[in-house]
Amino acid sequence: MPPLNIGFVADDFRVGYRRQQTWSWSMAAAFFCGEVGAGLFFVAEFTGLRFGLLVGLLMVAVGKASGHLLHLGRPAHAWRAIRKVRSSWISRGLLAIIIFTGSGLVVVGDAFLPGLVPPAIPAIAKAVAGMAALVIMVYQGMAMSHSPSIAFWSNGLMPVTSFTYALLGGVSLAMVLGWDTVSPARMEMLQAFALGLVLLGFVVVVSMVHAAKYGVHGGRKSVERLLSGDLRVLFLLLVLVVGFAMTGLLLVFGPDRQVFIVAAAVTELSGYFTFRILMFKAGSYDPVVGSARHARR
Amino acid sequence: MTNWGMVFDLRRCIGCNACAIACKQENTLPSGVFFTKTLTFTSGEYPNVKKLYVPTICNHCEDPPCERVCPTGATYMRPDGIVMVEAQDCIGCGTCIVACPYDTRTILDEHHLQDGLFGQGHITPFEMQGYVRFTKGTTVKCTFCHERVDAGQDPACVATCPTEARIFGDIDDPNSAPSRLIRERNGRQPLPEKNTSPKVYYVD
Repeated sequence: MPPLNIGFVADDFRVGYRRQQTWSWSMAAAFFCGEVGAGLFFVAEFTGLRFGLLVGLLMVAVGKASGHLLHLGRPAHAWRAIRKVRSSWISRGLLAIIIFTGSGLVVVGDAFLPGLVPPAIPAIAKAVAGMAALVIMVYQGMAMSHSPSIAFWSNGLMPVTSFTYALLGGVSLAMVLGWDTVSPARMEMLQAFALGLVLLGFVVVVSMVHAAKYGVHGGRKSVERLLSGDLRVLFLLLVLVVGFAMTGLLLVFGPDRQVFIVAAAVTELSGYFTFRILMFKAGSYDPVVGSARHARR
Repeated sequence: MTNWGMVFDLRRCIGCNACAIACKQENTLPSGVFFTKTLTFTSGEYPNVKKLYVPTICNHCEDPPCERVCPTGATYMRPDGIVMVEAQDCIGCGTCIVACPYDTRTILDEHHLQDGLFGQGHITPFEMQGYVRFTKGTTVKCTFCHERVDAGQDPACVATCPTEARIFGDIDDPNSAPSRLIRERNGRQPLPEKNTSPKVYYVD
């Protein structure tokens, strides 16, 4: 294992921890839109929220796709990413997005124009879209934790954070979009669910950071940056305080006021987007100096 | 079947980076792109300071995570163990860069191919003839100079190294120079905890 006392180096000829710079804003936006959109669609399926279905579908099909296309070096060839479903989570994700978009269109079409197709088709499409949404909510975390290179990401809790944030984002937006249409009893249930997810999300994020802090050195270096380094303010303030604490307080103290519910969605989504950015920024590669016996002395 | 690998003799490396220059020349690498680097590591405190040179390169792993995560199959392993990237299939998603624990891959952006080695956007005839092989927006990496290897030659970095600190050969052949070094001097792989089974070893 490489020594911990080595610092970060830029792209130069020194041994040291190197920052992950390949995935940045556009990928974070794609991850954000994909997870929140799929989460919203999933929640909207259970609450019968038509606009939730539409917005969720657009977030995935347009928002997520745009983020990925902006990131790609050769966007015109993006379709090729479906070739390695056997081993690549990116391929599996793309397959899920295609299935989700196709079946989601049928579900949304049926929600706004009922009776257009035989009733069995929307029912099947709903089940397929729901399963595809579940995959989209999780696969990005799987793709990150699957890779051994960045110790901070190589963590079993990464897919759990993806799923929790996706569901929480979906519930938050569903409460905003369905304020006038969802029944009070169901809204109350959504608020209780959101509060539970805020608590779960907080525990999962803190556990992930804790596991990395006491794990291998690359992970410790990332945690150092999050808790006491250049990313400290963003992580502590936006992710933990605004994203979880403020959202939780708003849900507890203002469940019957629309402005509080909107504010809770804003704080939750702000915290989540910051979390996504920080996960990319905090990722670091271990130095290869651990291979050299001299360096351990 | 041959299984190409490399050994870095840390006792011999003097940190001259002639390997990096030879690699850039052989592969016409644009400004800022390196397939191999010799890194410097300083340890200890005055007056007991030690400087160590650590050559790095794509490790052409037996179980390459870059190949596993590539969504298009652009990254593949040849039967002789050399990990390659098929530029026509690469979409430039960077997943392989994120997955490689050794940070030895680069995406060729537009500026790489336009800036020129001497800056100010001036591309020399040398660069012009070399850049033809590159596709903008795709990943590039060390290929152990596969064209030279196929022709029975050593990679450019190995041929150039003035101290013979880089030893290239078939690591499945117990009598090859790298196999003997690995056996006799307890060769170690970089970051073995990543479970990628690199075919590059360090001896000191």
